[in-house]
This record gives sequence, structure tokens and C-alpha cells, in this order.
Amino acid sequence: MRAFKDLREFLQLLDAEKQLLRITEAVSLEPDLAAAGRAINQAGGETSPAIHFNNVNGYQKAEVVMNVHGSWPNLALMLGMQRDASLSQQFFEFVRRYEQFPGKMDHRASAPWQEVVIEKQVNLFELLPLFRLNQGDGGFYIDKACIVSRDPDDWNNEDVQNVGMYRLQVKGRNRLGIQPVPVHDIAIHLDHAEARGEDLPVAIAIANEPIIAVCAAMEILYDQSEYKMAAVLQGSPYPVVKSTKGLDVPWGSQYLLEGRILARQREVEGPFGEFPGQYSGCRNYPVIEIDRVSHCKDPLYEALYLGMPWTELDYMCAINTSAPLHVQLKNEFPEVVAVNAIYTLGFIVIVSTNSRYGGFPKAVGLRVMSTQHGLGYAKIVIIVDGDVDPFDIKQVMWAVSTKVNPAGDVIIVPNLSIDVLDPASEPEGISHKMIIDATTPVPPDRRGSFGEQLGNPARTDVWRSKLSAMLKDLRK
Amino acid sequence: MSKPANGSPALLCPRCRSASAEVLCNSPVAGTWTMYSCKTCLYAWRSTEPEENTNPEKYPEAFRLKPEDLAQFPIVPTIPALRSG
Repeated sequence: MRAFKDLREFLQLLDAEKQLLRITEAVSLEPDLAAAGRAINQAGGETSPAIHFNNVNGYQKAEVVMNVHGSWPNLALMLGMQRDASLSQQFFEFVRRYEQFPGKMDHRASAPWQEVVIEKQVNLFELLPLFRLNQGDGGFYIDKACIVSRDPDDWNNEDVQNVGMYRLQVKGRNRLGIQPVPVHDIAIHLDHAEARGEDLPVAIAIANEPIIAVCAAMEILYDQSEYKMAAVLQGSPYPVVKSTKGLDVPWGSQYLLEGRILARQREVEGPFGEFPGQYSGCRNYPVIEIDRVSHCKDPLYEALYLGMPWTELDYMCAINTSAPLHVQLKNEFPEVVAVNAIYTLGFIVIVSTNSRYGGFPKAVGLRVMSTQHGLGYAKIVIIVDGDVDPFDIKQVMWAVSTKVNPAGDVIIVPNLSIDVLDPASEPEGISHKMIIDATTPVPPDRRGSFGEQLGNPARTDVWRSKLSAMLKDLRK
Repeated sequence: MSKPANGSPALLCPRCRSASAEVLCNSPVAGTWTMYSCKTCLYAWRSTEPEENTNPEKYPEAFRLKPEDLAQFPIVPTIPALRSG
């Protein structure tokens, strides 16, 4: 396990591990930064590096980094594992740490980002190298910030303090639009503030050490603190500092924006190229006014290219979506072996489980839909036997191909809630959901004519080790 | 670049074509670019972007808006009733 004090320290490790590309030539805000952010992921595939720019047109000293979480090696290094740790190894290690929850917060008196403070005439376009990600976007977005809020009805409860990642459209020098869809925790805080007729204070931390972004983008329970989750994932108390309004914010950020969601106001926001691979359309969303910006001297800005999957977001939200769901399910059903929710933020969930008795796998599938994650995602749930690796899609497709009889193995539950960004939902935010039971029926479910399943010939393991070594030599 | 409408100082918004766009700010390194925004539909653009983002004639049909569309967009999240007392 390893804790990084800030993003720069993590970039040093990525550099040493050849997982960072530095671009020193002059680049335009549009279209260069988005194009490079898109291309790094296409060029590098599942092992793509982060990409850093230090010569951005129009700024004296701007630095931008993208794709920090955008590959399996980068995520493994973030967890302090070997860069070649497999997805499955990372998943089980993440689960092991997650189960240590809660860790502790390390309250500190001051932070490096307090070096420079702007309280008058805030101009975000001057302070941040903002750029358009996709042509049809309605504006310039901050899309990888950690947004902190508290419940105005329970202000001193640090466990319901929320750290979330929501898209922010920069509409004016100090005016932002925010997307707090109803399935997000901040929407609860906003609802309470608006019922009181009060603005909701928020703090927006940009360019953080890597673990808090993973927690901010993770579906954990409403009363679980993201900081206490970050602490167990990094193996040490998570350092925080108070904002001027009393919110706990990360110590290791580059920028901190402080402001308020304006009570009972909505205005047009979007479109924005979103995670399902299409533009979101426009909605009337809440508005934030920024009153104060603090930042490190010579700050580093972090952004995430979002577009047609797979992008950095798909990597960043893979293990942190799967692991909480796994732990929640396993608490109730110890037979659960592993959960893969890495596709499109978990619109599809694949669960491998052993069967307690006939019908059991379908109960596991139904429970997926009523988890915190399931309320907004889990449109299609595939259940496979415990000896099928849910991260190996070839194995999953074999199970679906050979174990499913649609007559009794497909369940459709009508009109459940789903993220409003699901383009197939009708009306927006409502969708039928489906369970595909691809397990082998066990008594008293005696459907089908399943015979003895094939295994490997004797000594296959011995030959696999021997041949793997020979292949490695052959390809040196 | 959007053009002044009928010689007035107002700029046309590439997206909703309202003559209500204005200069938002300039680049920190002077003279590199200018940011504009529309007071009607809140679209923002930079002078150095491709014409599809800056020129009302070339702005893609798929992303255009009419000012009267704005009130029709869904309100998310819904605004709760004020608590009494």
C-alpha cells in the first residue's frame, strides 16, 4: 500500500514506470488537448500512460495532465501494486482493503493550496486552462473535480459529508452549472438546503492525489465517508483541511474553489459528451457561484477526456464500481465469488456465485437491482456459476450460450429507476431491467439436461507452466 | 467568428442566434484568444476554435437551440416545497 501526498508525487512514479508522456511543444486549447486526451487512450490501449502538457497557448505557465487513471497499470501503481497486476488481482486487493472500512481522517491546520488566494474578481478562465472536450458541448467543463458538501440538516455529521464527482459547466467568470442527478448523494444535501430556502456551500478540489478521485466516483453508502474509504485504500489516515465554510477538503489538491449552489435556481446546462458515448442533451440544472479560489503556486490542472467508451472514465470507474457491489452482495450472500461492473459504469453487472439451492441465483440478481448502485445502473444483470471468472468475457459468453434457456432464465422487471443519462430509458430515468440467469440449475430446479462438465486433462497445470516459460523464451 | 448584427455591438450566438452574446474575458497572455458567451442560452466559445463552434452559419444543425426551447428542458433535480415555519 502507498499513499501519495499529491498528484505531482504520483506523476513522478508514473514517470519512473514509463507511464507518463510529457508534451513540451506548444498546444492549442482546442482542439489539441481534447484530441490528445482521446488519442492517448486509443494509442496506448489498456496500458496507456498519463499525458502532461506544459506549453498551452494563451497561458504563461499552465500545466495540464490527462489520463492519470486511464489504464490498468496506472490503477495498479495507484494501489501500490506491481504495474502488471491483472484486473482480477486488483479487484480482490481493492475488496480486501475496502473491507477494512472505515479508516481515519487526518485533520491538518494548513495545506499547500493555500499559497495563493483570490477573493475578488474571480475569473476561472484565467485561473484554469479550460478547454472544450467535444464539439457539441455547450461550453467548457471541469469534469474531474472532487466536490464536497454537507447535509444542512445534519451539518456536524462528517460521515454524511459527501465527496462526489459531478460535471461542472463553466458558464461565466465565477458561475458554474452542476449536474447533481437525483441518484447522487449531493442531491440529498441540495434538497434539504432548498427546502430550507438556503444556498448549499460547496468546495471543489481540483487535481488531487489519485485515490480520492476513485472514492469520489464510487457508489458507497450515503453515510460512508469517502475520506475514511480513501484512508483504507491508501493504508493511512487521509489528510484534510477545513475550508472557510467548515467543509473538510483534501490536503493534497492543487486548486480549491469555494462557493454555493444557489437555492431554488435552475438554468440551462449542456449538452455534454457523456459516458454512454453520446451527448447528454440540455436540462435545467442548479447553479454554483464561486466566491473564493485558492491554489498552489504554479498549479497543475487535471482533466479527463470523456467520449465514446473506452476512455479514462471507464478505467477509473471499473474496480471502484465492482468492489462495493461485491462487498454489499457478499454480506448477504456469502456464496458470491466476484462481481464485474466495469462496463459503462455498471449498466451491465456480471456476478459469479455458487448456488445455495434452485432459484438462488435469480435472488442474487434481484438484490443487485436494489443496491445503491443498482438504483441508478444494473440495467442488465448476468449471473454465472462460481467457477466462471466474471472478468473473462469469453467464459461469461460461454455460460450465457450454454446455460440459458430464455423460457425460465430471463426475468424482466418493469419501470425501475436508472441514471437519466441512459439514452434508452423511457421516460428519462425509468427503465425495465433484466436478469439473465446463466448458472447451472441445481435442485429443486431440475430444468435442462446438463451432463458432466468438461475439465482439463491430468497434468495440464504442469504443461501450462512449462509451455508458458518456453513461449516467453521464444518471444524474447 | 460571430458577426455583429446590423452594425450593433451585440454578437450573434452561434448556437441560438440571439444577438445577446458578449465578451466573457481575454487570454492571460494578451491577444491570444477571446472568450464569448451568450446571455440567452449560456453557450460559450473561444475565438480560436474551429468555425463549427464560432460561426452561426457553420454551427452544426444537431446542436442548435431556439431561445424558446430553454424553458422546455427538464428541471433536474426537482425543487422541493419550502418547509413551513
